[in-house]
Amino acid sequence: MNETMEVMIELSKHGQQAQTQDGLPDVLDVMTLLSLPDHLRKTAVTLCRLEQTTADKVAEQTKRARAVESSYLNQLVLMGYVKKERRGRKAYFLVERGGEEKEANKVWARS
Amino acid sequence: MGKIIAIHSYKGGTGKTLLSINLAALYADRGKSVALLDLDFRAPSLHAIFKMPHGEYWLNDYLNGVCEIRKVLVDLSQTHAKRGRFLVGLANPSTEAIREMTAKDRKWEMNALGRLLSLKTSLLNDMQLDYVIFDTSPGLQYSSINAIVSSDVALVVSSTDISDIKGTHRMIDELYDLFEKKTGLIMNKVLTEVLASKTERADLAKQLMNKYNFPLMEMIPCFCDVLRTGGTTILATENPEHPFIKTLDRVATSIENL
Repeated sequence: MNETMEVMIELSKHGQQAQTQDGLPDVLDVMTLLSLPDHLRKTAVTLCRLEQTTADKVAEQTKRARAVESSYLNQLVLMGYVKKERRGRKAYFLVERGGEEKEANKVWARS
Repeated sequence: MGKIIAIHSYKGGTGKTLLSINLAALYADRGKSVALLDLDFRAPSLHAIFKMPHGEYWLNDYLNGVCEIRKVLVDLSQTHAKRGRFLVGLANPSTEAIREMTAKDRKWEMNALGRLLSLKTSLLNDMQLDYVIFDTSPGLQYSSINAIVSSDVALVVSSTDISDIKGTHRMIDELYDLFEKKTGLIMNKVLTEVLASKTERADLAKQLMNKYNFPLMEMIPCFCDVLRTGGTTILATENPEHPFIKTLDRVATSIENL
């Protein structure tokens, strides 16, 4: 409950938009990274590097507490930049990257 | 663990490519394993300088998710490294490829950032390289910001032109600092007379470091004979005693110690 409250406060504080004007979820590209508050940017860059991971692994990289990273990752989930999946007892966070295969097929088709 | 170095500038024509190539060659001469990647997709240039057949794939293909990075790299150790390993990855110089790269959407740029970030694992961990050097596009474009975010060290090259200095100042403040990058500034093509006079040299350095708070690493004079080669020779390999290379050698050491 506390975690959700913190997330809502954080979101209203920074006025982040989880969706673009056309209603599609925003993407976690460098422009988004630049617009994030410092504490979330560090978490987001680490997640981009690790692709899909747990709060523990992010905390190892950022040298911050696991609980802190868990809270930041959940904020990114609420903002719509990150997806959260339960695998057994662990929560995994991932950046949805689709479209790569489609692009690859386009390149192959041309060659 | 090795380092990824992004060589960037606010404006074009500051000498990024020349510095990138010679820095890579210097590290290779020190016995290091180096990969030099042309990330200037709007104006690729390494293909013209190395005059080599490109690998099975271009870096464009790697960012498109078509191939692994190993398939892009060409080993030039025999011709360009006395002791170490020298690998080069080229950007596709065709007009069609350049046009295509400039029309990518945000989703593609996000994927490209992921691919660049994963080079730390594939090149530094798996292939055990000591240095990866990104030769980037000038200014604040997607490809160059992606390269900076993915690097460990950002080396900014600026001329003494006031518009370049002010733009570099803004870029360091509003981009590099946000991503907490270790940054070094190289002032390139500085008038020889300025550097020859101890007072003028000290004044310039003081102004850059105090007024603009620049992490000044080195000031390189404008060498007419370097410009005269027109990028046809790699000085670090062909004329390692040249003062330009001696200055760059200090930069290489400073980066090693960062």
